[in-house]
Amino acid sequence: MQKSKTQGYVRSIRKFGEQYKESKLGLLGLFIFLFFVFASVFAEVLAPYPIGPTQGDRNFILKPPSSKYLLGTDELGRDMLSMILYGGKVSLTIGILATLITAIIGTLVGVTAGYFGGRTEEILMRFTDVFLVIPGLPLMIVLASLLGATFWNMILVIGIQGWTGTARVLRAQVLSLKEKLFIESARSIGASDTRIIIKHIIPNVLPLIVAQMVLRIGSSILSASSLSFLGLGDPTHMSWGMTLHYAFSVGSLFSNFYWYLIPPGVCITLVVLSFTFIGYALDQIVNPRIRER
Amino acid sequence: MPLLDIQNLKTYFNTRGGKVKAVDDVSFQIERGDALGLAGESGCGKTTTALTIMNLLPSNAEVLSGKVFLNDVDLLAIDEEMFRKEVRMKQMSMVFQGAMNALNPVFRVGDQIRQGILTHEDITKEAAWERVRELFSLVGISPDRAREYPHEFSGGMKQRVIIAMALSCNPDLVIADEPVTALDVIIQAQILELMRDLREKLGLSMIMITHDLSVIADTCNKTAIMYAGKLVEYASSIAIFKSPKHPYTQGLIANFPSISGELKGFEPISGSPPNLISPPNGCRFHPRCSYAMGVCSKEEPETVELERGHFVSCHLMK
Amino acid sequence: MAIILGMGRVIAKRGVYAIMLIFIMTIINFFLFRIMPGDPVAMMVSPSITAEVRQILLTKFGLDKPMHIQFIKYIQQLLKGNFGLSFVYQRPVIDLVLERVPNTVLLLLSSYVITVILSIILGLIAAWRRGGKLDISFTIFGLWMHSMPIFWLGGLLLLFFSVRLGLFPVIGVSTPWLVHENIFSYISDVAHHLFIPMMTLGIGNIGGMFLITRNSLLDIFSEDYILTAKALGLSNRTILFHNVLRNAMLPLSTIILMRLGFIIGGAVTTETVFTWPGVGLLIYNAVMQEDYPLLQGAFLIITISAVLANFLAEVIYGYLDPRVRYE
Repeated sequence: MQKSKTQGYVRSIRKFGEQYKESKLGLLGLFIFLFFVFASVFAEVLAPYPIGPTQGDRNFILKPPSSKYLLGTDELGRDMLSMILYGGKVSLTIGILATLITAIIGTLVGVTAGYFGGRTEEILMRFTDVFLVIPGLPLMIVLASLLGATFWNMILVIGIQGWTGTARVLRAQVLSLKEKLFIESARSIGASDTRIIIKHIIPNVLPLIVAQMVLRIGSSILSASSLSFLGLGDPTHMSWGMTLHYAFSVGSLFSNFYWYLIPPGVCITLVVLSFTFIGYALDQIVNPRIRER
Repeated sequence: MPLLDIQNLKTYFNTRGGKVKAVDDVSFQIERGDALGLAGESGCGKTTTALTIMNLLPSNAEVLSGKVFLNDVDLLAIDEEMFRKEVRMKQMSMVFQGAMNALNPVFRVGDQIRQGILTHEDITKEAAWERVRELFSLVGISPDRAREYPHEFSGGMKQRVIIAMALSCNPDLVIADEPVTALDVIIQAQILELMRDLREKLGLSMIMITHDLSVIADTCNKTAIMYAGKLVEYASSIAIFKSPKHPYTQGLIANFPSISGELKGFEPISGSPPNLISPPNGCRFHPRCSYAMGVCSKEEPETVELERGHFVSCHLMK
Repeated sequence: MAIILGMGRVIAKRGVYAIMLIFIMTIINFFLFRIMPGDPVAMMVSPSITAEVRQILLTKFGLDKPMHIQFIKYIQQLLKGNFGLSFVYQRPVIDLVLERVPNTVLLLLSSYVITVILSIILGLIAAWRRGGKLDISFTIFGLWMHSMPIFWLGGLLLLFFSVRLGLFPVIGVSTPWLVHENIFSYISDVAHHLFIPMMTLGIGNIGGMFLITRNSLLDIFSEDYILTAKALGLSNRTILFHNVLRNAMLPLSTIILMRLGFIIGGAVTTETVFTWPGVGLLIYNAVMQEDYPLLQGAFLIITISAVLANFLAEVIYGYLDPRVRYE
């Protein structure tokens, strides 16, 4: 019995892999994503210079790209290329961790609301509606400035506001699952609610959760870069958004320090784009409505 | 000279799984005044044939070869604009399943018909509206109802609207695709009677596509049976029902209940329709045929004219 | 007659809901700024004050009273229109916000018009030629816009068109020292300043709306009645712009109204980049200067506006879609 279940999983993973391979966008996204993950993980090895605030080269402040500093330097004399490499690690970590929080909250709310229905569902959905109406970025700004701009606070702040979409989608999915008879039969033989949720519901909504998460990582990274740009980032953890913040604050726009402005933005765009592509490809596979057309 | 002459038509669909040979070398003719019933199981290619003639195929379809002569003009050879302006509605029109979504919910039904008329005829909007009202009377709907929206009509009435629409520019040929399938039996009878009357009154030629043999028996003077993308038998309806020659047709007719005949049970044709991406070699019906011989799995049968006007495609006929 | 009754029902139902939401927002807003770590007095006045001054202010502002009494006083003040006093500007928050609202509304609405028009046109073309070169390139463009930080796009456009090419002004909503003889010269001055920020937000927000529009249109294209239209011999142009567009009006209106709320966030960062004196820039300054009363008041006003905008959208939608009126 156990063996055939594992075989079943292996088979569906393989089938998923085949379907995914057909999506050119999905593959491109995956490739870009892996590239950035590699660059981030091996940042220490790949970065030519250290990026501590006191470790800059005083003789090379705000210089354009040269053979010594491939992407130029910032106002503290630090190498842009190294800043980018280390920044990737920060940005990606924030994005992924914040999304984990979003996924957990979204799943809890969505599945509970969908499964239990009635009063619980109503209350949870009203709760979701409140969060839905509050504009996301202003809320994050307020929370971040009240809690203090640290690395972990930013993850928390981003994580606790993006879950509404996931909750709604999951609730819809659970509602349609409930229609299917196997839930009825599980209940009638006396299975407890927790057991049904864990054994039957979660495995079925897992692909949807993953697809949602992939899309949310992209928007989490964008939110983080917006917050950092506005000055609410953690100076001790230089993300790409923070780099852009300093780029603007030293007047790169007016003095045409293009090497300071362009690389962080390009990286943010590429990474988010990769998640968007991957999410798009996943959606094509997981979402039955699109398949029919 | 036949009104419609289809020669060696091949329409394939490009899908993820491969090429679906939906219509594979189909040929037949219709004379002026004929009503041809095109019958067969779901997926046998009858609707695809109609869509090919009407140039309404989806984007993944490909007409590989064949000619479709309507009034001596090969429809597959003329350009889109010509087809749209000269052939559509004026020479040939289609009756869809009205009970479904064939009518646009946000426009009045009269406006939808009038739009078609004005595209093809140089008359005033008021004159076109008058014609719409006349058409409604013709199909048995109160003319004032032309101002209403589709959701205000019942299934049977919507079907009448669709029929009115198809007749609006006086076509020579009307192709009806399962026009009564979604309706209940009493309404079915009414609509079929309407179509019979209109045919007589207006001298229409018709192709009636359906899987329901009783509909064909009621309205069509000729019948063509399709199976797995091939035309297997073509004859007058009387010949098909009284003396079917192809084993598949025989199987279909055998299960067709007769009020005056003896009591007997159903004898379903064993097996299921083949995969059209890789159909069986030779005669496509041979895996299900109780008369299959050795040659049936190797060669495709030729079409033989057994008697005048009765064509069969089966190795048994030699 | 039925329409008026139905609309009344919608307004009443949604109105009650909106008021409830506003009340909840107020509660959240109040407790948010009280529960957060930090000294409430310091937050209200200035982060750096002496102990005696602090004690005086504590009593003066009633911060030593129990929480529920503070809350009641807060509501009372709100109902009088008092959203607090900005520490940095030494003016009522409500005045500061109202001064800047026109600028933000101008920016948001003008850019949204651009977003909507572009999304519909691109979406139509992409859906009609599904899978074709245009569809693929538009889709990639949409996904790209969806992934790019809008403030960065703004910065780049500013750098290129305003700084390097000198075609557009760099800061603000109008030229401060310019004296205008008539209203037209003032309008053209503002328009000149508005152009780049408007294009930034307009194009930057295309991504999501384009994709949803395209999907809605694809749904419509696969409907049977479009096949009927083709069989009727209508030209492609007629089908697209007469039939499909009419059918799309309802789902498109929904999309347009419902997505209005998402663009507010982009306004804050864009106003910062372009130094556009709107509510977004006000919030940015409040954060930078630790002006918590201003932040709290402005945030509350923004959330209330969002609820009201939502309410308006639902009422308009109730008018457009008859089915909603009978719920």
